[in-house]
Amino acid sequence: MSGKDRIEIFPSRMAQTIMKARLKGAQTGRNLLKKKSDALTLRFRQILKKIIETKMLMGEVMREAAFSLAEAKFTAGDFSTTVIQNVNKAQVKIRAKKDNVAGVTLPVFEHYHEGTDSYELTGLARGGEQLAKLKRNYAKAVELLVELASLQSSFLGLNVPLLISSQSWMRENEKSSIG
Amino acid sequence: MKSNLHILPSTTDLKIHLQTTDYGNFLNNQTNPLTVSKIDTEMRQKLCREFDYFRNHSLEPLSTFFTYMTCSYMIDNVILLMNGALQKKSVKEILVKCHPLGRFTEMEAVNIAETTSDLFNAVLVETPLAPFFQDCMSENTLDELNIELLRNKLYKSYLEAFYKFCKNHGDVTAEIMCPILEFEADRRAFIITLNSFGTELSKEDRETLYPTCGKLYPEGLRLLAQAEDFDQMKRVAEHYGVYKPLFDAVGGSGGKTLEDVFYEREVQMNVLAFNRQFHYGVFYAYVKLKEQEMRNIVWIAECISQRHRTKINSYIPIL
Repeated sequence: MSGKDRIEIFPSRMAQTIMKARLKGAQTGRNLLKKKSDALTLRFRQILKKIIETKMLMGEVMREAAFSLAEAKFTAGDFSTTVIQNVNKAQVKIRAKKDNVAGVTLPVFEHYHEGTDSYELTGLARGGEQLAKLKRNYAKAVELLVELASLQSSFLGLNVPLLISSQSWMRENEKSSIG
Repeated sequence: MKSNLHILPSTTDLKIHLQTTDYGNFLNNQTNPLTVSKIDTEMRQKLCREFDYFRNHSLEPLSTFFTYMTCSYMIDNVILLMNGALQKKSVKEILVKCHPLGRFTEMEAVNIAETTSDLFNAVLVETPLAPFFQDCMSENTLDELNIELLRNKLYKSYLEAFYKFCKNHGDVTAEIMCPILEFEADRRAFIITLNSFGTELSKEDRETLYPTCGKLYPEGLRLLAQAEDFDQMKRVAEHYGVYKPLFDAVGGSGGKTLEDVFYEREVQMNVLAFNRQFHYGVFYAYVKLKEQEMRNIVWIAECISQRHRTKINSYIPIL
């Protein structure tokens, strides 16, 4: 124990009680710090795992969607201009919510549907079936993208608090191991 | 030619392969990378050049026949322009997207109109499409109509007018063209029915979109208007000897859809048109078969560029 860490007290029973209370407070604080660091690390690992899974799935889903676009073009002809011209209100929208992990607030996005499909009758005379399949595939891709966005923003939100709390924990550990 | 296109590894190989065919060097002025949309645009320009060549050398009544052929593309272009004008988009952008075969002289004048009925009175009344508008509806309803319904109604009038023209012409042209147009009418009726299941299109509205120049008129169309699912539709088709085998071929081992089956039948009929001489149907058949070939090439090119070769053979073979 170095000289700097010595606390000057007057040797009395009350001082001892006060010191014990202080010791208990310090120990609780140390445990809480460990718990926070552990909780953040756990959540971080979970998010990372999900991000990897979602990204792999994303590759497959986008490929499928692009191919269904080619199929629809084969049967229905070129409907791209019609679609672009009739763009109106968004049918799929996102709500942002807040999630709390060990004191750190993380954003969570969830999608919801609103309104009717303004392209219901496109491809009425040819290619309607392929267009329906196309719409389903791309809807799936959009949902997956929203989930991925949610995970990645949580990832970024967690990064800094995790680093700070784990650094404090390590500094704490060092001090206690020296002392 | 198409038998070995699907083993090619990339789109530049596709370009080299196409050079040995009738298409020649049409892609020579394109820089790399060669995208599928460039291939599509170039092929369409080539077809347009050939069509203009035929048209410039024709006399009446063949030139009227050609005008009828271009009407279907004109309908698509007009719908595009109307939509764009109503949403105040720049005309130049839309003109680029229009189908070249459906060009008409009044195209640039579209942006002077505010509403659809203005557009009709000012611009469209000069085009060959005017009688089709007059058949479908009065001026007032033009504004409220859904754009897709308008497109299909125009097409119905066009098909019926074309059919009457061919029938009046008589001779071999009528013998070849009338069955083709009857099939087109019935095909449209079936597909519209199939695609309207589960949408907000009512049965009465649906019935107004069926062209009446086909074999299904009048009993078949009435039965079709009442159909509520694919099986009921199939039962209607079974009354007609021509359509029963087509519906039976749907599904099966290759996963064929109804549209695929219809496309194959159309190709068959167009190919048979070349067996007779001295009639106008060859021009129609040529253009339709060329279009199918373009669709096939674009399909193969997309499969190659997306590296999705499993379905590369599901194009419609010609011959």
